[in-house]
Amino acid sequence: MQFGAMIIDSLRESRDRKTFWVLGGITGIIALVMLSVGFGPEGTSIFFGTWHVESSLFNPQSEAGAARILGVVVYMIMDNFLGWIGLILMLIATAGFFPSMMSKGEIDVVLAKPISRPKLFLYKYVSGMVFVLVQATAFVLVTFLIVGFRWGVWAPGLLLSIPLMVLLFSYLYCVSVLAAVITRSTVAAVLLSLGAWIGFSLPRTALDTLAVFPELDKNSAIYSSMRVLATIPPKTTDIAYLSARWAGAGLSLDIAPTSAMTGPGGGMNQDQLDQIREREKKQFKVSALSSIGSSLLFEAVVLMLAMWRFCRMDF
Amino acid sequence: MVHLAETEITNWAVDLIDARKTYGKNIHALRGVNIQVARGEIFGLLGPNGAGKSTLVKIMMTVIKPDRLSGTVLGRPVGNRKKLAVTGYLPEAHRFPPYLTGNQLLDHYAALAKVPRDVRRKRAPILLDKVGMSQWADTRISKYSKGMLQRLGIAQALINDPELLLLDEPTDGLDPMGRRDVRRMLLELKDQGKTIFINSHLLGELEMVCDRVAILVNGMVARQGTLNELTEHTAEYRITADGDLSDLRIQVERLGCALSRSMIVIAGDDRKIVNQVIDLVRSKGHEIESVVPKRFSLEDVFVEALGSVSETSPMARPPNLQ
Repeated sequence: MQFGAMIIDSLRESRDRKTFWVLGGITGIIALVMLSVGFGPEGTSIFFGTWHVESSLFNPQSEAGAARILGVVVYMIMDNFLGWIGLILMLIATAGFFPSMMSKGEIDVVLAKPISRPKLFLYKYVSGMVFVLVQATAFVLVTFLIVGFRWGVWAPGLLLSIPLMVLLFSYLYCVSVLAAVITRSTVAAVLLSLGAWIGFSLPRTALDTLAVFPELDKNSAIYSSMRVLATIPPKTTDIAYLSARWAGAGLSLDIAPTSAMTGPGGGMNQDQLDQIREREKKQFKVSALSSIGSSLLFEAVVLMLAMWRFCRMDF
Repeated sequence: MVHLAETEITNWAVDLIDARKTYGKNIHALRGVNIQVARGEIFGLLGPNGAGKSTLVKIMMTVIKPDRLSGTVLGRPVGNRKKLAVTGYLPEAHRFPPYLTGNQLLDHYAALAKVPRDVRRKRAPILLDKVGMSQWADTRISKYSKGMLQRLGIAQALINDPELLLLDEPTDGLDPMGRRDVRRMLLELKDQGKTIFINSHLLGELEMVCDRVAILVNGMVARQGTLNELTEHTAEYRITADGDLSDLRIQVERLGCALSRSMIVIAGDDRKIVNQVIDLVRSKGHEIESVVPKRFSLEDVFVEALGSVSETSPMARPPNLQ
């Protein structure tokens, strides 16, 4: 009963925030853009057939074409919109959940109810996740249906992006909650969680960037330290690879990493591109168990810290 | 050893012993407070701002953790979840989620208080009607005035049909009619056997409804008792005689009394002095018109309590301006 009340309250709270509707709007716009594009054996139609590009590259009837379509969906749409803009908006939308519950006058009434502080903390935390679950489900489901009905590629594995996205969000949300519990400030929670996200992704991004320079000594201090830092959880960047791998699961489709779809250019020669492809292939085969397991361990530690603090606070 | 079952049948709804709370290193909010509230009575906790009233109530409601406290609330240790389920609380300066309507708010807090769905659906409209908020039940709280929020707060505190009701400044923000409604409601609740604990600095409000009061000053209980007990002592006698009594000034002042033309004011309730003054007045040929004993009001008791603690507590003294 108490859990249900907290969930309903959080959904009402999120519905009251502009970011909720902005996210819904983004989902709608992306759905419209996707619907305006059609893939077929003869080529690709754009903006409801206004333009037509003749190419068999995205032929959904061929395995390679279907893999490319899914690659576009995973790497361009999921990663950029849900995994980037969407995630930022979700962090902003949920960052205020704890500070508003802990605000003077409001927390007094809640704590006076027969609910223990650890339970209250966990229920509120899960409420934030439910909000993201709703948004991610709407986005991925719409994408899945358009990819199936409009583009002719039915990839149930795409639906696994829902839990993966919630998982990625949870890695950052725990930091947001810790910041909120300590500072009671929504702004601090947003800034610290976004800062943490940059911090978590930095070593891997730095390694990718450094890989472009083959002349760089792989045993240099900076290279080695980045490699070590990249092993520290949470591994936010792994989610994109897992999402791509699982999107093609059951279809015998190998959803290639981004670089596989591009040729030399942008200052890269064939050798550099091959190196990146090699490394991306390795990352692509990341172990779900160790990546998610270690990241969840990190999340648990941060949450325990936040809960400990919450349970000891005077309001 | 006392079993919990035995303690639950105690007559005290609230029995706090040695409640202590210090913020930081040297802000002593509570310095060993002992308070007993009998079941079925309306108890008022009085005190100036910063006396520790809200801290004490928040400790009872587990919002603040005490440094030290023994005793019980409704026969169970403070913070017992089962007893919180039958306790209603209205905090001072409460803030409700602005995105909810009055109805939704009551339903939400009732669910947190583990009130079954069918019961809370029946009870919410009754309570909203009781506090005069029926027509605003489906309006978002963000549109409520301060007085409306206070009314809703009271309904919220009653949603779980509490045995014990703790109200922190319940008439704050209410107009005179609203205050009267609240007083009437409190007396009704008392008649139903509820125990009510009111925190307030409005003496008049408490005087009208409370059976017993405690005065908290600087984190200590300065006075505690029934209104009769606290105000039964005579504060002063006023003796009025015919004509000008100026010729008695020296003798009157020697007895520790004050004289103003035809009236003598005797502080305290020492009847011996009163008789001495009467004899003195009559011995000089004046006729006594009246001897009026003036009893303490709650305000006098409050001011006196404030003064007595100020004298003993260096923290309460005003800064030395010299």
